[in-house]
Amino acid sequence: MLRKNIPYRFVLTVILVASFYLQPFAQGWDVPADKKAKNSYIKFDKATAKEGETVYTKNCQSCHGDIGKNNSLKSLKPIPPDLSSTKSQQLTDGELFYILNTGRMIMPSFNNVLSETDRWKVISYIRSFNNSYIQVLSKTDPTKSNLVKINLSYDSINSIVRVQVTASEKAGVVALKNSEIILFANRYFGKLQIDKTLRTDNDGIALFRFTKNLPGDKSGNVELIVKVNDDKYGEILSQSKLKIGVPTDKPSLTEKRAIWNVLLKAPIWLIITYTSGVLIFGVFLLFLLYGLFRIKKSGNN
Amino acid sequence: MLEQSKIEKITSDLLRPIRLSKSFMAWMGFLGVSLVVCLGAYAMQLKDGLVVTGLGDYVSWGMYISNFVFFVATSLIGMLISAVLGLSGAKWASPLARIAEIIALAFAAVAGLVIVSDMGHPERLLNVFMYGRIQSPILWDVTVVTIYVLISALFLYIPLIPDLKICADKLDKLPPFARNIYKALSLNWSGSHEQEKIIKQLTRAIAIFIIPVALAIHTVTSWLFASTSRVGWDSTIFGPYFVTGAFVSGTAAVIIAMYFYRKNYKLEDYITLSHFDKIGKLLVLVSLIYLYFNLNEYMVPGYKMKKFDAIHLNALFTGTHALLFWSVQIFGLILPIILLVFNKMRKPLPMLVIASFVLVGAWFKRYIIVIPTMEHPFLPIQNVPLNFKVYSPTLIETLVTIAPFILVLLIITILSKVIPIISIHETIKELEEKNN
Ligand code: HEC
Repeated sequence: MLRKNIPYRFVLTVILVASFYLQPFAQGWDVPADKKAKNSYIKFDKATAKEGETVYTKNCQSCHGDIGKNNSLKSLKPIPPDLSSTKSQQLTDGELFYILNTGRMIMPSFNNVLSETDRWKVISYIRSFNNSYIQVLSKTDPTKSNLVKINLSYDSINSIVRVQVTASEKAGVVALKNSEIILFANRYFGKLQIDKTLRTDNDGIALFRFTKNLPGDKSGNVELIVKVNDDKYGEILSQSKLKIGVPTDKPSLTEKRAIWNVLLKAPIWLIITYTSGVLIFGVFLLFLLYGLFRIKKSGNN
Repeated sequence: MLEQSKIEKITSDLLRPIRLSKSFMAWMGFLGVSLVVCLGAYAMQLKDGLVVTGLGDYVSWGMYISNFVFFVATSLIGMLISAVLGLSGAKWASPLARIAEIIALAFAAVAGLVIVSDMGHPERLLNVFMYGRIQSPILWDVTVVTIYVLISALFLYIPLIPDLKICADKLDKLPPFARNIYKALSLNWSGSHEQEKIIKQLTRAIAIFIIPVALAIHTVTSWLFASTSRVGWDSTIFGPYFVTGAFVSGTAAVIIAMYFYRKNYKLEDYITLSHFDKIGKLLVLVSLIYLYFNLNEYMVPGYKMKKFDAIHLNALFTGTHALLFWSVQIFGLILPIILLVFNKMRKPLPMLVIASFVLVGAWFKRYIIVIPTMEHPFLPIQNVPLNFKVYSPTLIETLVTIAPFILVLLIITILSKVIPIISIHETIKELEEKNN
């Protein structure tokens, strides 16, 4: 039994090991053609590059290093490229945007971390290191996203969150069809995605399955965030509170006196021990100083 | 009554070192230049921050903190010699009391600076006072170090008052401002019965009070470590372990100081062979106690070898830190104990050598306590460059670590140039008592 398995295992191991080692050299990003052609609606100028630098310093520098200095974190595999390199700069704006959105292995996905505007701004910063770069601006009108309305409702029997996305055009209200839509619940340390990423149907509706046991606040409110990505209207974010969580009222860990709390909420025994120690010293110091004073006075006589 | 000539000899013997000599100037010049070099290194650290050191995310406590522990430890000696021995009536130690207090004061005062050297932003020390939380041992440490420095200064000053009067009266060729300072500090000392009584009372009170304070300062220093749950620090005996270790390094420091004072200041009649003999025995005693604590501290976890302890202990016993660990235990503790048991070894020169080994060993012992633990966190260190995992101090860091030693030597040198390092008043009084 065991013997029979050996050749099979061997082949499997070779494949696994090889794919592991070849992985870092699997260079191309294979960006779909439509994404590759995508352009920014934000103008890449000094101002947006400057704002992009702030985003870069916070989110990218720890791995990619200072652009142009080739000091990225070399202990990672694959090594994060210096983004001023020819190879990186040869990528189209759409490709850079796609890479930022999807990520790969160690390179994280920033789709749900940075807003679309911030993602374009950081690309603006990356482009500021390329003198021969000429921008092609996208024709999408970013103000169009203001027309979009997102409607949220909850079907408690089937525990489904229903989201409808519409836009109020001059010609009347239209539904956003086949646009990407993601639902999050706001949590303490970030956003929790609910169900999967969906696409709206012909009526601009998407139905998300919701697990019933998500803790909410005292009265069961959960902050929901809907993110819509539409080719025509761009990225739209909307936040709303729904009473769909389990009411949770745990006392905060910083409510009572505790070792980890602020000074004013220190444990009583500690306050007493510490202050009495300092007080005893203070009294003793006064006693010594009074003694010195007595010596001096006695010498006067 | 003692004959006047004898009193005069004692006074002039003990006052003799208080003058500016060529060798003193040369020594001060040497210290000054070295200090400037080290401060230059510190200026670079101020400018660029702690990146100039070998410290990082994992080993965030390095030589600076080891240095701090060492300085606090050595400063405890004032309490042992002057307070404990003094109160228990061990008369032989009284000529050494002032030396011990000078060492204590110098090390304690500089310890506060050492901890500041571990801050990339030293001005943020103020935050401890503005936003400090009394739940944090750091705040207790700052409090108790401050108190200990004040108490040590008074412990040095109060018994010194009669001698300051003698200095004001007897020192010739003194510039008037210096004489005025001596006079002002001697608080109208006339040697009256009442004044003697008050001084005796104050000295006794302070000798009693300084014992808990000194215990507190080093116990709290140990709690900086022991109040965490990290391997190698998570120990219930850390307080006494640190305190007993402190007596070892402090006694060694006093022995070294005794040797140089006796030789350079020609004090053979006052710091005698019998003093060396006795303090040698004292060093054996405190070292044995410390060895006993070491046995507990390493053998008990070493017997159990719990998962995470094992990583740490193996690094010490047979791994990367083994050479240092065993050198410290053997040359800094076990060999000195064995050697000092022999009469022949309790003579000034051999003791100078042995005490130097003990003192250097004591410094590296602090290194062994602080750094290996930092290299062994509970969560594995992954995906970082090698120099994040393994601590190696930089040159700048080494210079900044040396600076406090120069400062201590400066303080000790200056203090022993302005005050008699053996109490004239006490020496005369003891002789009088003996004669009666
Ligand atoms: C956790 C480390 C890490 C962070 C943080 C990170 N990256 Fe990356 N990045 C990588 C790695 C590793 C690669 C190479 C991935 C590969 O080839 O599979 C990479 C690749 C890239 C590429 C492709 C470059 C090329 O020439 O192939 C771009 C563009 C990029 N990152 C941009 C960014 C930006 C912008 C940010 C910040 C918003 C960022 N990265 C944050 C690790 C990181």
